Amino acid sequence: MNNAAEQMGAGASFGREAWRRVWASGIARACLAVLALFFVVALAGEAANAWYEWRDVTPPWQAQELAARYLPPGAGHWLGTDGLGRDVALRLAQGARIAFEVGVVSSLLAVMIGVLLGCLGGYFGGWVDDLVVWLATTFAAIPGLLFVLAIAMVVGKGLLGVFLAIGLTTWVGVCRLIRAEVLRQKERGYVRAAQALGFSSWRILFRHILPNVLHVALVSFTLRFPAAIGTEVFLSFLGIGAQGQPSWGTMIASARLRLWQGMWWELAAVTVAIFAVVLAFNLLGDILRDALDPRLRVATD
Amino acid sequence: MWRYLARRLAQAVPTALGVVLVTFVLFNVVGGSPAAQVLGQNAGPLALEEFDLARGYAKPLFCGRWTATRALAAVDFATAAPSVRAQWHAGDSGWLSLADGEELVLPLAFPLPAEGTWRLTVEGRGPGFPQCGKKFSTVWKKSAKSSTVWKKVFHGVEKPTFRAAGGAVEIRRVRLERGTRHFFDSQLTDYIGRVARLDLGTSASLNQPVTRLLRAGIGPSLALTVPILLVELVVSLTLALLCAYRRGAWLDRLLVAVCVALMSVNYLVWIVAGQFLLAYRWGWFPVWGFESWRYLLLPVLIGVATGLGVNVRFYRTILLEEMHKDYVRTAFAKGLRTERVLFKHVLKNALGPVITNVAVALPFLYTGSVLLENFFGIPGLGYLSLNAIHSADVDVVRAVVLVGALLFTAANILADVALAWVDPRVKLA
Repeated sequence: MNNAAEQMGAGASFGREAWRRVWASGIARACLAVLALFFVVALAGEAANAWYEWRDVTPPWQAQELAARYLPPGAGHWLGTDGLGRDVALRLAQGARIAFEVGVVSSLLAVMIGVLLGCLGGYFGGWVDDLVVWLATTFAAIPGLLFVLAIAMVVGKGLLGVFLAIGLTTWVGVCRLIRAEVLRQKERGYVRAAQALGFSSWRILFRHILPNVLHVALVSFTLRFPAAIGTEVFLSFLGIGAQGQPSWGTMIASARLRLWQGMWWELAAVTVAIFAVVLAFNLLGDILRDALDPRLRVATD
Repeated sequence: MWRYLARRLAQAVPTALGVVLVTFVLFNVVGGSPAAQVLGQNAGPLALEEFDLARGYAKPLFCGRWTATRALAAVDFATAAPSVRAQWHAGDSGWLSLADGEELVLPLAFPLPAEGTWRLTVEGRGPGFPQCGKKFSTVWKKSAKSSTVWKKVFHGVEKPTFRAAGGAVEIRRVRLERGTRHFFDSQLTDYIGRVARLDLGTSASLNQPVTRLLRAGIGPSLALTVPILLVELVVSLTLALLCAYRRGAWLDRLLVAVCVALMSVNYLVWIVAGQFLLAYRWGWFPVWGFESWRYLLLPVLIGVATGLGVNVRFYRTILLEEMHKDYVRTAFAKGLRTERVLFKHVLKNALGPVITNVAVALPFLYTGSVLLENFFGIPGLGYLSLNAIHSADVDVVRAVVLVGALLFTAANILADVALAWVDPRVKLA
């Protein structure tokens, strides 16, 4: 118990130290602010969506108002209206909700698969490791975007296909990083000590080693998130992703046609939103990586 | 060197097999028969069954003597929906009752074809269950619930029938199956055999062999992706060298910031905005089509722009990593100029990761760029794949994925061999 408590204490202080380093950077604080705004908008969108679904009325972002088509940004509609008179700002917030859902679910899926397989392969070695490496090599060999499209096609249109497609194709990088880190941790003294005490492999792996490699998972999650948003936008744009909901991808798809008629604001709004969120995640991911583990080099992806 | 190559090839065999297996699991096990999507909602069960038979989807997935047929869905009267029970004229009791001498009426979706073997399995209870006939064709089994399983195999024109004889019968489950040629006559062995013969199937929507479609599409794809790769390599290496040369100066910081910003602009936005502004509004490039090299300029430009951020950052990291090594310090201490150290010493030593990066990108030359090809109307493999995905043309999608993965594996071997060739430090053991 003593040992575990000591370790937890050490972990907490390591976390605090890393957090202090992240917070010290002005860019990191700006990124966190952008992401906080994104989360708030997404959660508000989630709540609003649930509310209107429960009341069973048409939500305002779907309400068509043909008299108010193609309104440029102004007092009534901050970001203007689209070709069916729907408010772009509200649709943008709903798009944030979908991007958030996809980012969280698919990144969690990828990180969980990657962490599980990486831990098992790295710790147990032997045929388990061979199997994990074989799986990772096989999945890495399949061309990414086509694999995503194929999975989405097989699972069917809709967000479930998007979650699975992104989750099942992006775990390989996480798995490799975690496996390498577990291999390194396995030789450390605390693992030897736990083995000498006769703890079971599972306990050593998931109670002792896992907390020490979780920083890799955290950085992977932060870097996977914007990639997942990008893929969701791509899939929804092609009509395979979100169905009947205002995703950023479907907004680009419709804004693209209207751009040629001079309606620039819908595309501009989506572009800026995606840019801000993805940039914030990318920068924060880099800063986190430097703060959490200076040995981890950039050339991982 | 040859031994090394042979060893790497041997290592690639499990990966290649894995890719075949993963595509099989994805398209056959999870995806199942695409008949309904290809033939549309109005296709009857007979048309669907014929599609499955022609394309091998009627076979069992891995192995087996018997496989399901669309002529008769397996039914369990205890759990069946009321509509299904009505079809069989069964009551709500969970059993289908037959009086003595009454024959079971199978609500077949279509008359069974004359050829083939069928097996009818009836499970139920009652004194009227027929006795087993030939030793191998009928099977009696007592299950725990004291119900009786009756199975019979019917050959050719023989019609599958079941008749209560010598008493009433209550039936719980009925199943009709089609016989396969032999135990291993399955979708998996079929698929492996076809891959081994380099037969990638037939496109359902275009009615052409997939190999011909791939051959037709590879030219336009390469015309787009090879220039992107080369221009990108030259531009990003130059910029990365510039960054490394001016490490920490405002130029370096600016370039790094621009790279992160470029990475964060969505791919779609690059294409939509580029096509709208450069081609449509300002008229510098043709908007759409594939007629001469001028049609490729804008897609190549956009392709380079989208990848620039990631690549410059990657090469910059590699170059800076080299800059910290002892030989660089020695070179500077000797009094060599920065340019000479950078271009002659550092670049040469950083060649390894550069080669790997390029080799790993090679397979993507083949798959083309799905979005660029579709936006600019370039009839390459990306265009082909997206159309195939929209029309559920499984054979085409599977072939593109499979060939892309095998090329990726080959490119990895190529990278390792090239690495061993340019860098004597790499052991060929």
